[in-house]
Amino acid sequence: MLSSPRRPVALGAALAAALGIVLGSTLAVPGPAGAASVVKIGVDLPVSGADATNGIPTRNGVMLAVEQANAKPLPGGLKFEMSALDDAVQGVHDPAQGAQNVKTFIADSAVLGMVGPFNSNVAKAEIPLTNDAGLVQISPSNTNTGLTKGDDAKKLRTSHPDVNTYFRVCTTDDRQGAAAATFARKLGLKKAFIIDDNETYGKGLADVFEASFAKQGGAVLGHEHITKGQQDFKALLTKVHSASPDMIFFGGTTASGGGLVRKQMADVGMRDIKYVGGDGISDEEYLKETADMANNSYYTVAAPETSKLASAKAFVSAYHKRFGSNPGPYSANAYSASQIIIAAVLKGVKDNAGKLPTRLEVRQNVAATQNFDSPIGKIGFDRNGDTTAPILSFYAIRNGKAQFINQLNVKD
Amino acid sequence: MDVFLQQLINGLSLGGIYALIALGYTMVYGIIELINFAHGDVYTLGTFFSLAILTLLGVTGIVTGPALIVVVAVTILGAMILCGLTGVIVERLAYRRLRNAPKLAPLITAIGMSFILENLMLYWHGPSPIPFPAVIPNPAVGLGSVTIQAKQIMVIVLAVVLMVVLQVFVYNTKLGKAMRATAQDKDAAQLMGININTTIALTFLIGSALAGAAGFVSGVYYGSTWFLNGFAAGLKAFTAAVLGGIGNLAGAMLGGFLIGLTEAMTTQFISDQWSNVVVFSVLVLVLIFRPTGLLGESLPNKV
Repeated sequence: MLSSPRRPVALGAALAAALGIVLGSTLAVPGPAGAASVVKIGVDLPVSGADATNGIPTRNGVMLAVEQANAKPLPGGLKFEMSALDDAVQGVHDPAQGAQNVKTFIADSAVLGMVGPFNSNVAKAEIPLTNDAGLVQISPSNTNTGLTKGDDAKKLRTSHPDVNTYFRVCTTDDRQGAAAATFARKLGLKKAFIIDDNETYGKGLADVFEASFAKQGGAVLGHEHITKGQQDFKALLTKVHSASPDMIFFGGTTASGGGLVRKQMADVGMRDIKYVGGDGISDEEYLKETADMANNSYYTVAAPETSKLASAKAFVSAYHKRFGSNPGPYSANAYSASQIIIAAVLKGVKDNAGKLPTRLEVRQNVAATQNFDSPIGKIGFDRNGDTTAPILSFYAIRNGKAQFINQLNVKD
Repeated sequence: MDVFLQQLINGLSLGGIYALIALGYTMVYGIIELINFAHGDVYTLGTFFSLAILTLLGVTGIVTGPALIVVVAVTILGAMILCGLTGVIVERLAYRRLRNAPKLAPLITAIGMSFILENLMLYWHGPSPIPFPAVIPNPAVGLGSVTIQAKQIMVIVLAVVLMVVLQVFVYNTKLGKAMRATAQDKDAAQLMGININTTIALTFLIGSALAGAAGFVSGVYYGSTWFLNGFAAGLKAFTAAVLGGIGNLAGAMLGGFLIGLTEAMTTQFISDQWSNVVVFSVLVLVLIFRPTGLLGESLPNKV
């Protein structure tokens, strides 16, 4: 289920794909008529190492959507398959590996759409490739603003600046960072010290938080960046402590230092200082790594809390039945993203009178998605590829457990 | 000023760990002129062995009373012995046969051994960070407005004590003399009746055992570890050895403390993300003006 054996047509498909790229105008390669009754959905997520506690429940969301689609009668013996690859190298999400995985999907003509990646810096490496191949990708969780908006986004669409192949069902860091700042201010916090991991996601989120927190009357005492693989944060935290903040904002993920920083706060006498972060520290790994220091942490998630949504009831019970656990923070997002791709393929089949659509046609259908009924509400995409229903939820860690506080639609 | 003193303590603690690792690099380089890239991973292995011993002893948190001394002693000695043996095995498998091969050959096998050890640890505990029990009660001692933690005192004291013991061993015992003779001239030493294979194995045993001690200390000090920990730490420790003068035991210690201090002070007064840049700039500057390191190489002059 997770991986499919390489088919003998793969080489031919790769050549055809290469040809498509050379020709430019024909962005996608139609699958060979008749034989191609299998449509694959590529999945690129980190499913090993520290990111796995996020990646696996997210991948399960795709698996569930694919299985449910196959359980229904599909036209002309059509069957959906999940083709899943791991973008974690030595336990941490890796942009180069993500790019490699996307190349694998592009070479396989049966892949008509993909779900992923999980991390924004991986997305930066992947978007130019999917843009070039005309392969639609929907991320369940990338929140970095520059992936879809402004000049940064245009620069990523290297081959076809006018064709967007990248969509996401979660909201962006300009909203997440601002909401986190509002949230922190509501907690009564006034003096923030900001630390980020210098990655696309972490630094982007921290920068937005910094500006927004200051705008809302908070004082930003400093902003530091940590480096990959760093283990000792005592010197940094001593410096932070000497500035006497009442909170630390961390922009980054558990794997890139979010857990270690929190843990070492105890050593410099900052046990009771509040620790606020984005969805990067929303995983189980964070609780495990920080242990008794987990309390007093707060974070936002760029997805609704599915247990509180009426629209997600069926999804949550189906997920629980299939995997024997509750969905992760981004499972419903991945499920919805897959449903959108599946619907886009089915619409294409219908429009082509039974023949498989091209990748570009699938992209077209995804881009046209409006008011799509999904567990996370009625979703659609705007001009940039961003969701029209941006929802953020807030959590606090108390007694070693994440507690849902509230969620809001942050559409401006 | 208070912050300065606080960072001084942070820097010395971090430096103590670098110093313990650096001693192993410098000993091995001193005797067979090999940069043992696997040494950083032996250090991580020290943390893993310590964790395994603590698990066997049933220790999951802070230990108090007389049991503390027993637990710490058993764990440190156990980790030192196991790491020492690992070092000897690595030398036997990967370096001995290449002792007379061109210099690049053992260098490559050293990198290979590093990957092998890393992947064994990856297989052992998986790629996520692993929590390490606190073990030692950690009261903070207040010195004016500066606080120093029990863990920090432990790191610094242990590093200095082990360095002194090592110094005494190398300069005041027969085996130490054999090591120095082997470092100076392998062939002549052999002619004088020194078993150089045993002597070199002993060097690996001691150097790796010190990395084992550093592994335990780092586990307790940071409360977590993971399989790639040794890469960055090993690089810094090697830099410490070069900074102090490679082959020179006191130099390795000095280099370790200096690098720890440079990192802490850069973080405080410039920015955390610049700490590596400043550390390596200091190294470059020192090497320009003193190519043999601060205390000078103690390498044999080969004709």
